[in-house]
Amino acid sequence: MKPPVCVLRTDGTNCDEETFYAFAKAGGDCRMVHVNQLRSGEEKLSSYHILALPGGFSYGDDVHSGKVLAVELTSLLKEQLQEFVEAGKPVLGICNGFQVLVRTGLLPERKIGTINTTLMHNDSGKFECRWVNLLVEDSPCIFTRGMTEKTISIQVAHGEGRFYTDPETLNRIESSRQVVFRYCDAGGKATALYPANPNGSLNAIAGICDETGLVMGLMPHPERFVEKTQHPNWRRGIEGDPHGLAVFQNAVSYAREM
Amino acid sequence: MAIQEVRVTNKPGLPDPAGNGLLYDLHHALGLDGFEKVSTAKVYRFEGIDEGQARLLAERLLAEDVFQIYSINGPLPDNTGVLVEVAYKPGVMNPEAASLIKAALDLGIEGLLAAESSREYTFRGPGATAENIALIVDKLLVNATVERVVIAKPETLIIKGSIGSIKTIPINQMNDQQLMELSRDKLFLNLEEMRAVRKYFLDTGREPTDCEIETIAQTWSEHCGHKTFRATLVVNGKEKEPMLARLKKATEDVNHPLVLSAFVDNSGVMEFYRGQAICGKVETHNSPSAIEPYGGAMTGSGGVFRDIMGTGAGARVIASTDMFCFAPPETLAENIPAGCLHPHYLLRQVVAGVKDYGNRMGIPTNNGSVHFHKDFRAKPSIIVGAYGILPVESCRKGQARPGDLGVVLGGRTGRDGIHGATFSSGEMTHRTVDVNSSAVQIGNAIEEKRMSDALLAASAEGLIRAVTDCGAGGFSSALGEMGENTGVRAWLERAPLKYSGLSTWEIWLSESQERMVLAVAPENLERLLEICRGYNVEATVLAEFTADRRLRVTHGDDIVCDLDMEFLHNGLPKRRMTARWERKPVCPDGVEKESNSLAIDWLNIYKSIMSHLNVCSKEPIIRVYDHGVQGSCALPPLGGEGGDAPNDAVILTPLPGEACGVVISHGLNPVLNNIDPYYGSLWAAAEAVSNAVATGANPEELCLIDNFIWPFPDEESLGALDLAVDACVDFVRATGMPFISGKDSLSSTYRGTDGAVLKIPPVLCVSAFGRVPDVNLTVSADFKKQGSKIVLVGKRNPSEMAGSTYYDWLGREGGNLPCLDLATLPLVLKAVHRAVRRGLVLACHDISEGGLAAAVAEMCFGGRLGAALNVVPGESPEQFLFNETVGCFVVEIDAGADGAEIFGVVPWVEIGTTVPEQQVAVYYKDQQLFGAELVELKDAWQKPMKEVFGA
Repeated sequence: MKPPVCVLRTDGTNCDEETFYAFAKAGGDCRMVHVNQLRSGEEKLSSYHILALPGGFSYGDDVHSGKVLAVELTSLLKEQLQEFVEAGKPVLGICNGFQVLVRTGLLPERKIGTINTTLMHNDSGKFECRWVNLLVEDSPCIFTRGMTEKTISIQVAHGEGRFYTDPETLNRIESSRQVVFRYCDAGGKATALYPANPNGSLNAIAGICDETGLVMGLMPHPERFVEKTQHPNWRRGIEGDPHGLAVFQNAVSYAREM
Repeated sequence: MAIQEVRVTNKPGLPDPAGNGLLYDLHHALGLDGFEKVSTAKVYRFEGIDEGQARLLAERLLAEDVFQIYSINGPLPDNTGVLVEVAYKPGVMNPEAASLIKAALDLGIEGLLAAESSREYTFRGPGATAENIALIVDKLLVNATVERVVIAKPETLIIKGSIGSIKTIPINQMNDQQLMELSRDKLFLNLEEMRAVRKYFLDTGREPTDCEIETIAQTWSEHCGHKTFRATLVVNGKEKEPMLARLKKATEDVNHPLVLSAFVDNSGVMEFYRGQAICGKVETHNSPSAIEPYGGAMTGSGGVFRDIMGTGAGARVIASTDMFCFAPPETLAENIPAGCLHPHYLLRQVVAGVKDYGNRMGIPTNNGSVHFHKDFRAKPSIIVGAYGILPVESCRKGQARPGDLGVVLGGRTGRDGIHGATFSSGEMTHRTVDVNSSAVQIGNAIEEKRMSDALLAASAEGLIRAVTDCGAGGFSSALGEMGENTGVRAWLERAPLKYSGLSTWEIWLSESQERMVLAVAPENLERLLEICRGYNVEATVLAEFTADRRLRVTHGDDIVCDLDMEFLHNGLPKRRMTARWERKPVCPDGVEKESNSLAIDWLNIYKSIMSHLNVCSKEPIIRVYDHGVQGSCALPPLGGEGGDAPNDAVILTPLPGEACGVVISHGLNPVLNNIDPYYGSLWAAAEAVSNAVATGANPEELCLIDNFIWPFPDEESLGALDLAVDACVDFVRATGMPFISGKDSLSSTYRGTDGAVLKIPPVLCVSAFGRVPDVNLTVSADFKKQGSKIVLVGKRNPSEMAGSTYYDWLGREGGNLPCLDLATLPLVLKAVHRAVRRGLVLACHDISEGGLAAAVAEMCFGGRLGAALNVVPGESPEQFLFNETVGCFVVEIDAGADGAEIFGVVPWVEIGTTVPEQQVAVYYKDQQLFGAELVELKDAWQKPMKEVFGA
């Protein structure tokens, strides 16, 4: 059975096609769903086994990146979202989708309306698009099963990706192993140094999950490396499968077994 | 109810990148010191709600207490320092306002009538004197065309006005002088054209309305009518076919089998694979960008994307390109003509505009270049391109039928861009900024993105008969052109407006962005409207297509416009224009005497060439563009071990999971056009296709797009333009590659109050795009392994050095520019393509500015490998290293490979090998001339743009 995947889009979503493709390639049965269709009742989240919030500039990233969509989701679709995560279904937020997840409160603690982490403007003050290395941490995250301690090559493209939170929350996230990805140097060591850490994130955090490992958000774009030729240096030889593909395959196989 | 104000800033102690960036600029761009800190805050204002509601908005939407603090109706704590608040001028649309209103509604806040946002800066330190703050406001914070400093809290945020009455313009009795007075600064028509207008209304027996006059001026503008390109030319006394006719004829004659639509639609279309077609369009936005670079560049990108969206029955945009020409960023302020903006500011603002529009639309900007020459100091050249994909079956220009409805999609109409079409056709003067400031606006990329989503959905369901962009000339242009062969009946009172108070002609002519017009059969209307609602896109039936070949526009009971389509579209008197050009003899300069090569400081020269503005790395620009969105990049703009080495073209895979690709590249060289427009233009065309072929593209599957950005066509400039067109035509005939789209912008002359005239170096930008059957059979420019042979392929006359970066470094231009051999070029292109296709090429880079020296250095950077080069016998080291003949390639082939077998009869020569030592070592007559360390070359190459962009 191909698990149904909801690729949620709205005004300004723009990484939906490639996210759709990544899940489809991984074996998902994808559908583009506009947030209006959820609001009108034409579509229901409960019809899906995976929810993906793709990258882009939802509502222009006005006020804060992802904020206006987060307000829409928490004000008008709160129950559906709550049900979805309580049913133990995976949720993935990439880039703008990650920003939305922290601004709904789904990350890091699955508490809708409680915002205790954020993604600030990059330290450089600039939007930046570049390939970086990520260290995959040991975590309960279902999206990174089998990837632990690997270093993957991946593209970032954002202006507001500096992970920030208060010291207590940071401690909690770290001690409950909710950090999924860290920016690292070529040797695989987590780094605070620009440009390997492209935005100045605390503890080099590039992606986190909730305590169950079912809700994950990350700033980099795994959907941009699911084919060999998407890597800038594929002509120089890149070993193994495209590095982003496993994220989607893990989600699909998890959903298949649900 | 009073206006509620919410101020939001980051908590003390947390970084404020915008403030830090400004602090950096105070020092680096303005040379100001004595500032300890600059902090920034957002200011939000709301009308129609109370303080409690404002507090709710602050807590739930505006401020996140993880990292921010806020204040309501008062200053933020610790606001000691000098405060400056900067906002858009009333009437300039702030895209954030709509999001504020939407979010407030979602939060259940009722009564909100209007919302605004602005930014507040706090300057601290002894440097914050009134004088310094005034300078900062003027140079860095406020572009007075669209922005202002907020002094007092506004009383209302609602813009309203009463509608102006329809005016009649009494031209029937005007004499010639009065006609020209009417034309100046507003219509930009010449006397003969004004007389034709007068005759039409004399014959009609009535005076025109303001709207009719404006409609004619827009349709007949140089921008829309391309009068110079359609004119009969008399060059040096000899009559020649119109330039446009010559270009089109060359394309028709070569009859390229892949061309599906050339010069008729909003973009040129060629066949792709899997039942799909690809299309390309390149536009200029020089005039708006010269006075408001951020908004000008944004609307340039937005406009060219809509050209792609408005091709056939709608296309999906897959790429954005940007090519700019500026004066050097270090130009002294006193050398900038009155009324013109400094290039350092222009460059950064234009890049920001392209970035914000492309990134937000989700369109990768991944091919471009920046050229610098002092004579762009009055007016820059801002070129933006876009490419798209669409099904072959719906790729041809649609035709509205009588009874079809004219539906406007997207943004609302405001007083934006009034006179944009006529304005961009006029010369620039010190008056331009004041008189024409309404011609510029700020784009709203999200409005365009959702419109694109809706359009593609409607297109997929076959609901669209015809579609076009509402660009220059607004509804007048869009409906006037779509209904040229049928007739149009439009009801202006139906147009959704941003605010009240627009005159009817303003509604008709407004160039408000993010609007498109569709011709839709009545039976498809309901479904179209339903799709649009689903995407939050406003759609309104504004007009109906008729069969009477008249353009009839009303507002309520008033007749605003009633013109004969035949007169409007074919009544423009055909121009006959004289051109004069004296071809300078292309003679050898004879400066490269056999100098004492060993005594020259080669490292210094090499570094100077690498750090020349036209050679240096443009990485800080490329990085701020999302060049990876859509996941389609199979050859990115930057690659190699450090991810910082440039490739010649971009290759995209627009169909996910399929290996077939689109290649996109371009070429231009304004300096060479100054010396000889014919060979300079050949260089541009050859550079564009060489860039594509260097990656492995098949020269037989490429199409071309022209952009002529020229000084005002006086006799001399027109003579140069005529030669450039001849070069294009000869290029098409020699190579078989057709031009399928193009644009001219012939107004890049500045006239100062003292009568001083400044012309830009003529720019011909040629863009190339094509299809690649399998991206796996393409190459990048970075060297792949040590011990490889380095081969130079292509024909060059080593003494042709004029216009080169090296000559510029020497402080001269010269006369013996590279004269491309049109007979050899196609053979070289085929040979390089064949070699790549056979998998025999490890890396390939074409030679352009900076010559072989720059090309090899860039290949070394990417491969983290050095090169040992031998000067070709018969060439001086200067010629060998710095000659910029186009159509030549540096190719890496395997150590054991046989150059003769690979390249056959085309000119090729082995020039060296790749080595592990991190340097470029050059040998001349068996002696080492020098060894330049890669790290030094790279630092020199990266430094200039890092300084400009503060990276």
